[in-house]
Amino acid sequence: MIVLSLVSKFFGQKKAVEKISFKTKEGEIIGFLGPNGAGKTTTMRLILGYLKPNEGKIEVSGFDPIDNRIEVLKMVGYLPENNPLYYEMKVKEYLSFIAQAKKYDSWQKTAQEVGLTEVLSKKIEDLSRGFKQRVGLAAALIGNPKYLILDEPTSGLDPIEQEKIRDLIKKLAKKKTIIFSTHVLSEVEAVANRLIIINEGRIVYDGKKPEEKGAVEKLFKLKVK
Amino acid sequence: MKNLLKKELSYYLNNPLGYIVIILFAVFVNLFYVKDIFLTGSASLRPFFFLMPWFFLVFIPALAMRIFSEEKRNNTLEVLLTLPHSETEIVLGKFFALFFLLFLSLVLTLSLPISLFFLAKIYLPEVLVAYLGCWLLGSAFISLTMFFSIKTKNQVVAFLTSALLIFFLLILGTDFSASFLPKFLQDFLSYFSPFYHFQNFVKGVLDLRSVFYFVSFVFLFLFLTVVDLEKRD
Repeated sequence: MIVLSLVSKFFGQKKAVEKISFKTKEGEIIGFLGPNGAGKTTTMRLILGYLKPNEGKIEVSGFDPIDNRIEVLKMVGYLPENNPLYYEMKVKEYLSFIAQAKKYDSWQKTAQEVGLTEVLSKKIEDLSRGFKQRVGLAAALIGNPKYLILDEPTSGLDPIEQEKIRDLIKKLAKKKTIIFSTHVLSEVEAVANRLIIINEGRIVYDGKKPEEKGAVEKLFKLKVK
Repeated sequence: MKNLLKKELSYYLNNPLGYIVIILFAVFVNLFYVKDIFLTGSASLRPFFFLMPWFFLVFIPALAMRIFSEEKRNNTLEVLLTLPHSETEIVLGKFFALFFLLFLSLVLTLSLPISLFFLAKIYLPEVLVAYLGCWLLGSAFISLTMFFSIKTKNQVVAFLTSALLIFFLLILGTDFSASFLPKFLQDFLSYFSPFYHFQNFVKGVLDLRSVFYFVSFVFLFLFLTVVDLEKRD
């Protein structure tokens, strides 16, 4: 379980997130929705211990991400925003590097699940955007983490690739808790079972995803004016 | 740590730039020395070793400037810091990769002492101590450049700031600084210069105080780099 209690983060005078609280349950796919600069990426980085909160408390399966960073990172797979990768590496080298860092022997099965088998010997810089995204996703999945945190996993992809990544997330969700950020409303409708809307650093909605078609958009417009 | 060391080494060894920097270093060091050896008619390797700090002034920052600044620019530092290894492991992994490359570069200069060993009489232990000095001096400059590399996303800024500080530290240990500093101050400050300690090695003296100086230098800058990496602002 990931628990955030009244967490705030400031960059100098600028407020990034303010007094946000939520708790995850196993098997949830949480769509983290908000406009650009709302605080989605900051919240994700706080959960990972990449940023230190100014106020509040965070726990990942009982561990504080700052005091027990390594323990937390062993349980969390992360796909950062814009998917930074070592472009000079071959796909298999990169996945092997990630697997070794996570002290996990096998990356081949994950590569197969994500559909990377045909490009394993290619350099990452030579891959299409869709395949690069799959490499990032495979890296997050290696080690079979309990939690997956995906920052805009379908950003910049064409509709067919977006659909494939969404299907993959749904397939994975049976065994994991997934938090994914997006500002694409249809994505939340298609994938999430819980919705958190964040605006100007504050959570303005946290609840079940409305099931009716177009309801997410209505809710979003209502909460984010 | 082994994993990170392997990644860094493969970056340099699979990249023409790594080879270019290392080979240019070896070529220039050899050329500068060989050029003078016929003029002086002396088979001593001391002039060769005395050149080394000035070559390191350019070579080490050129080799190490990218080590963190490139990760920052490409946002891959976020990848590293969200994998389950500690900041110390990251810094040591990168340091030992550069440490090994320095060793490799010094090996490429061995042709000189080997040739001289067969052509003239050179005292081998003295050469070995001088090489140890080069390795320690290079390691100190690596740690310093790593610290400046983590401070910026711009490799050129990392290079210039490191080279400038190295130049300043080297100058403190030379006679040149005596021309503008009072003697008591120059005597005091020269002790902090890597050049001052390096001279002992070149003379073939294995002074433990100088070894301690270089080891402390490396520890200090690696520690500062870890502290910077641990910042979560």
